[in-house]
Amino acid sequence: MLIELDDIAREYVVGGELVRALAGVTVHIEKGEWVAIIGQSGSGKSTLMNVIGCLDTPTRGTYRLNGHDVSRLSDDALADIRNREIGFIFQNFQLLPRETALANVELPLVYRGEKAKVRRARAIEALQKVKLDNRMLHKPTELSGGQRQRVAIARALAAEPSLLLADEPTGNLDSATGEEIVKLFEELHQQGHTIVLVTHEPKLAARCPRAVRLSDGLVVGDGPGEQVAFGGLRP
Amino acid sequence: MLRAFFDNLRLAAGTFIAHPLRTALTLLGIVIGVATVMTMMALLEGLRLKVNKDLSQLGANVFRVDKWPQGFRFGGGDRLNWNKIAARPVLTLDDRRAILEHCPSVKRTSASSWQPGQRVRTAMTETQPGVFILGTTVEYPETSGVVVANGRYFNEQEDLDGRQLAVLGPDVADKLFPSLDPIGQEVRLRGRPFTVIGVLERRGKVLGLFNLDNVVLTPMTGFLALYGKRRTVSISVEAHDLERFEPAMEEVTRLMRQRRRLAPDEDNNFEVSTNESMAKTLNDLSQVITAATFGVCLLSLLVGGIGILNIMLVSVSERTREIGVRKALGARRSRILAQFATEAFALSLVGGLVGLAIGLGLAGLGRWALGLYTAVPIWAAVLSLVMSSGVGLVFGIYPAARAARLDPVDAMRAE
Repeated sequence: MLIELDDIAREYVVGGELVRALAGVTVHIEKGEWVAIIGQSGSGKSTLMNVIGCLDTPTRGTYRLNGHDVSRLSDDALADIRNREIGFIFQNFQLLPRETALANVELPLVYRGEKAKVRRARAIEALQKVKLDNRMLHKPTELSGGQRQRVAIARALAAEPSLLLADEPTGNLDSATGEEIVKLFEELHQQGHTIVLVTHEPKLAARCPRAVRLSDGLVVGDGPGEQVAFGGLRP
Repeated sequence: MLRAFFDNLRLAAGTFIAHPLRTALTLLGIVIGVATVMTMMALLEGLRLKVNKDLSQLGANVFRVDKWPQGFRFGGGDRLNWNKIAARPVLTLDDRRAILEHCPSVKRTSASSWQPGQRVRTAMTETQPGVFILGTTVEYPETSGVVVANGRYFNEQEDLDGRQLAVLGPDVADKLFPSLDPIGQEVRLRGRPFTVIGVLERRGKVLGLFNLDNVVLTPMTGFLALYGKRRTVSISVEAHDLERFEPAMEEVTRLMRQRRRLAPDEDNNFEVSTNESMAKTLNDLSQVITAATFGVCLLSLLVGGIGILNIMLVSVSERTREIGVRKALGARRSRILAQFATEAFALSLVGGLVGLAIGLGLAGLGRWALGLYTAVPIWAAVLSLVMSSGVGLVFGIYPAARAARLDPVDAMRAE
């Protein structure tokens, strides 16, 4: 089991009022799965993604990632876990604008303390996987939206993480380019990567073998992507 | 660790290249501070070395007897009682003669006395009232290092006869005799005629303060007749050799006390000083100026540091998203802290190096164009670099800590 979320709750105090973003979520994800997390805005899916991505810690419950309890770790320990275990793919790409595609892809390896030579070789390899090795010295501003997202995917792959965590990866792309990216995810899934994809689009969730639907901080559906995306199947 | 440092340096360089004008303006405070201190240090150290060298050329066997104490005293417990000093008897040419006659360790003596702010006239023209008139004995050229470039110095007999002779500094000669050989001409001091027998070699100014060329040297006897027999003279005493230097000082002190009939419990009412004590005074003075200069520099660095603080805060808030991304991808707090601290450090170090280069350039220019003596002490260069980069580090820590504390999720959401 790669991801074991048990009774996860996350509460915030905003303006003196208690906001319950997650109210007790239990989800288990095996290695090699491709799971969509779907829900309306405010359903808690972004909070869940932050918890899964070790960007945030739950106020209740336990989260075991790759067998290790990561629910109560310090900032720096979480940074190390993110660096080793998680490859992020964000809606707005989150590339460093002043750096080349290659340098962007190298970034997680920089924080892992790899030698410059190793960094470079592995970044080039990752860019080859997303078919961008011909543009690796371009800066993000010189690339199209689809190309930028592929750089971001290469960056996620370069660190060889156990989990690819994508947040609305097609949200800022036109439908044709979005389709390319989804195809790329399909390939990655076939190669054995574990993918968690957070989206509000039922059509995208339907493409995933499994989907988890959230509403008001609770899991309200878990099953084959198509059914959960369109049918609202209860567990 | 080292790899991280070089990565951070590369990032810092990238930031500077992306904002060249902003970087340059931020550096200005530090550059000016360091350039100022380096220029001052170069001048001060050059002057100190030059004067020390001059003093040592005067001979290790020479000391002086004066009415007034030499120069300044710093931090000493005994405050000088100026009224008491002013009431001391003057030193005379008789004292000088007695020293030569009664002190067996003394090889020779010379005497000098001076009157500043004088006007020198000829029938045709006159100088500004700023000429330094120096009464001297025949040994003066040997004990002071002045060289007669044209004509000659007076001899002992001429001095004893009270002849009114003048050796002009080059500035005085140029002013009074622009198109004429001054030798054999007549100049007037206080209306009395003096015959010009020589012109000195040009020596230049000391830090632009004291002009060694705007002088007239006259025989001592004639000088005293003109400016007053009651004035004190300064007596230079040369021992036979270094072995007899201390005995010579003791003999002179004993003789002077005898001549003045001082009781054993009374203090000397004259001063005996060596070139070493003059050098010490000068070195003490230069230390005070050095400390003051570094103080001013520190102030200017502080201003530069606030500039760095400001620009680093801007840099952090501009790059909030970048920081968020870096943290999301696994950068620890310390890594982000180090990145921004390195940037501030590199910024101020570059400022320090530029300031150092400008300071050295100005010192070189001063030497080349104005003939000033300059020397840059290594410790001052190192210290100002350490100070400037230290300021960057201190003022860079707060913005860097702010960056390190950012929450990655919030930071990535920033615009």
